[in-house]
Amino acid sequence: MPKTILKAAAGLIVLALLMAIPKYVESPYALHMMILLFLSVSMGQSWNILGGFAGQYSVGHAAYFGVGAYTTMMLMQAKQIPPWIGVWVGMVLVVAVALAIGSICFRLRGPYFVLASIAVAEILRLSAINLTTLTNGAEGILVTELPAFKIGERVVTDFSTKVPFYYIGLFLALLTIGITYSVQHSKLGYFFQAIREDQDAAHSLGISISLYKNIALGISAVLTSLAGAFYGIYVGFVDPPTVLGLDVSVQIMLICIIGGMGTLWGPVLGALVLVPMSEALRSNMVTDLLVRVGLVNADSKVGLFLKENLAHAHVLLYGILVVLVILFMPDGLMGFVKKLARRRKQEAV
Amino acid sequence: MAILEINHVSKFFGGLAAISDVSFSVEEGSIMGLIGPNGAGKTTLFNCITGYYPPSKGEIFFNGRRLNGLDPDKVCMLGMVRTWQKVRPLAKLSVVDNVMVGALAHTSSLRIARAWAMDQLKVVGMEHRADFIAGGLPIGERKKLEVARALATRPKLLLLDEVMGGLNPAESDEIIQLILDIKKHGLTQMVIEHDMKAIMRISDRIVVLTSGEKLMEGTPQEVVSNPDVISAYLGESHA
Repeated sequence: MPKTILKAAAGLIVLALLMAIPKYVESPYALHMMILLFLSVSMGQSWNILGGFAGQYSVGHAAYFGVGAYTTMMLMQAKQIPPWIGVWVGMVLVVAVALAIGSICFRLRGPYFVLASIAVAEILRLSAINLTTLTNGAEGILVTELPAFKIGERVVTDFSTKVPFYYIGLFLALLTIGITYSVQHSKLGYFFQAIREDQDAAHSLGISISLYKNIALGISAVLTSLAGAFYGIYVGFVDPPTVLGLDVSVQIMLICIIGGMGTLWGPVLGALVLVPMSEALRSNMVTDLLVRVGLVNADSKVGLFLKENLAHAHVLLYGILVVLVILFMPDGLMGFVKKLARRRKQEAV
Repeated sequence: MAILEINHVSKFFGGLAAISDVSFSVEEGSIMGLIGPNGAGKTTLFNCITGYYPPSKGEIFFNGRRLNGLDPDKVCMLGMVRTWQKVRPLAKLSVVDNVMVGALAHTSSLRIARAWAMDQLKVVGMEHRADFIAGGLPIGERKKLEVARALATRPKLLLLDEVMGGLNPAESDEIIQLILDIKKHGLTQMVIEHDMKAIMRISDRIVVLTSGEKLMEGTPQEVVSNPDVISAYLGESHA
């Protein structure tokens, strides 16, 4: 099959490029953007396994993200436990939280899981604010000094630049893509999709609904907690709104919804759209662009208003984007691309 | 030998008895027809047998094993599978993937499942549709897909809920042929059907339900000549 070979070759080239970037790109800003991109890919991909494949919409993935981030940071700050050990503790805790929600809610039909997922994330956020002895409350946890990562006596990295984070992020993104791929190409993927498409039919075909929903949730939660832990150590700071807030949950979902749910590359596309977009808004690039092309005068009232407010408007723009995607591309960007490809094929015939 | 035994099964929804005190048994290798006017409780009985509702009273035995309270997936793993009156294709998956979901009940290998699924598609004559998206199939083929997917779970007893409903006569004939072919392979079947001609042709025995109760049981000839059945279907004046 030359097509598979072609695909594999393209994949290897992209991978080689990604591996080589830190060797040639020194700009910390560029690396930072790439790290955010990897983080978003892994967050979207984690949600995709549960929401995209198994069809169970969690609007509370911040719970898993936050527990992963907080556990790692708390262990590092209070007990000086290095993050590559703390992250395992985080994963265990996250599985416990996930299965507690799943084993209760997946027995029920209807919107209970969605509601419970939001509730649990909010409970955890409020707990993080109020359990000040454990979590330092609203002030958050700041850990700027990471211990050097050693194998034997050899120091692999001391985390003094963004490069090690780049490679960890890349690894995380590839890991989540790899896991999604292997889920998709196994019994699990078939069972998840059967549950998504028709729960009763799946049940009649010998699939234990609650078992497989819990498996999907478990995989998804563990991967999300990994992303959370990575976020914590990379930024060096966690506080309740940034890792446990509802907008974290929404952002995780959006990557997937915009990119295309239940597809391998959907979350990657979604991250490629959302990360640059939110960055452009945050750094006021949009206003600058409008001024530069002469649409808006920088010193006029409109210009000042935009400069003042557009940076904070990313939530509004997310909303508009979601409406557009749902109206015009219900299967996300990936579905849209596939549809175009099909149409072109038909025209060619 | 009876593969399925239904002993005094009742199902209440609130105060309403959807099924009351129904008993019969299905012989291995036979085709049991289940008929009755709309609302007689045929589909409810299927739901009780396959574990969607636990029966309120009575017992169900499959191959000597008591099924009461067993979930549908467990019932399927024991070797009893049903199709749906209102078809339930996994709409976004391809035809062969639909059937593979059934085949994966007994294997974890996608390769084996795919080969087995293709065999079942050949049985229902749909192997040329393997890569078609199931949501886009016409009704006749959706019904066949239901059967293929159910067969893929390697059942000992197949429950067909109105597989001919909504089909034209030519399509119905194909399904009748399919049911008789499946019987030749030794698979026991229980069939709900509204088409009287069809059910008379395929059934070895028939159970007639009216308003949740068993009116009678017998061979197709006994059923058509029973005045109670005629009045249940056509009203008292025709009896």
